[in-house]
Amino acid sequence: MEEKILEILEEHCEEALEYEGDNMMEDGVIDSFTVINVVSDLEEEFDIEIDAKYVVAENFRNKEAIIALVQKLMEE
Amino acid sequence: MASTTLFRKVVVLGYGKVTGEVLQYVYDRQAEYGYELVFIEHEVHALSVTEKICRDNGIPFHRIPDKKELARFLDQIGEKALLVSASNNFLFPASLVEKAHITIINFHNALLPAYPGRNAPTWAIYKGEERTGITWHYVTAGVDEGNIIVQKECRITEDMKAYELTQCLMDLAAEAFRESFADILAECARTREQEFDQGRHMYRSSEVPADGRLDLADRPERIYRILRSVDYGKNAIFPPMWTVIDGREAEILRYRKISEDKCKEGEGLVYLPLDNGEVLKIKYRYMDDKTGLT
Repeated sequence: MEEKILEILEEHCEEALEYEGDNMMEDGVIDSFTVINVVSDLEEEFDIEIDAKYVVAENFRNKEAIIALVQKLMEE
Repeated sequence: MASTTLFRKVVVLGYGKVTGEVLQYVYDRQAEYGYELVFIEHEVHALSVTEKICRDNGIPFHRIPDKKELARFLDQIGEKALLVSASNNFLFPASLVEKAHITIINFHNALLPAYPGRNAPTWAIYKGEERTGITWHYVTAGVDEGNIIVQKECRITEDMKAYELTQCLMDLAAEAFRESFADILAECARTREQEFDQGRHMYRSSEVPADGRLDLADRPERIYRILRSVDYGKNAIFPPMWTVIDGREAEILRYRKISEDKCKEGEGLVYLPLDNGEVLKIKYRYMDDKTGLT
């Protein structure tokens, strides 16, 4: 699963893979439009629904946060 | 030679990407012109970066979600001021617009006078336009009626979704703003009046393409166009599209154009063949069964 998430991230925002900080949005690594694309691909790949309440900077602060979000949604 | 302007204050209002770019540019020019800069966030956006730009650069940040409070705040501006409405749905009161010391410019995400009002990218896609664009215009008491300062065009590609078009338009808007800002500050921008057709339609936020309902017997190309036109990702600009399947109302969860070999049997899935040999995959759930996916 993690590998697939990283592939999706790489496709839309390669910089996100190298990023080691804790706020990709504020640091200009990823923008709101890229997040939409990433969310769309994650939903399709893992057949999950990512509710709008989860699409906040906190859950997209770095790749680890994105992986954790998908894991959480798949366990629900 | 130092650049000059009679504006003593510049107020930026809005949310989202274009507002961030406009705000940053106005801040970068501040020392050159000497105006006071203020930012107002009226509508909150979950992924907005404007608060950080303000924090990093010491720009006064005001979050004013209430319309009346915002009107009062703006009404108290006493000095000659330029209000930049970057991506903003607040309608400026006529009493403010008509003040001699207040100048307001607004970004509209269509080529005015076409598609005035709300959600212009949606309507441009829905109507099958091949081109659209952006307009910066002066604000008058009428909605999206003021003189045009600058316009830029872009193409609507065949798979473009509303959020992708919005992104293109925001990039164009930021570029056009940077190109025009000096003339606006110098009050020498060459403008032109809009020419309105009779029966000009003002799009309202309550209007939804196809009234929000898909007819799965419709041409798949049209269904795809409707879905793309309302697709702003997780930004709930419109209620979810719905349709009727086996006599039950079903909410559309997501859609995607795929190649035929990727079609897989599954619950809650409909595949519609497109003329080009690809397939429109639609994921749905019955509206009387919202506890889980069908």
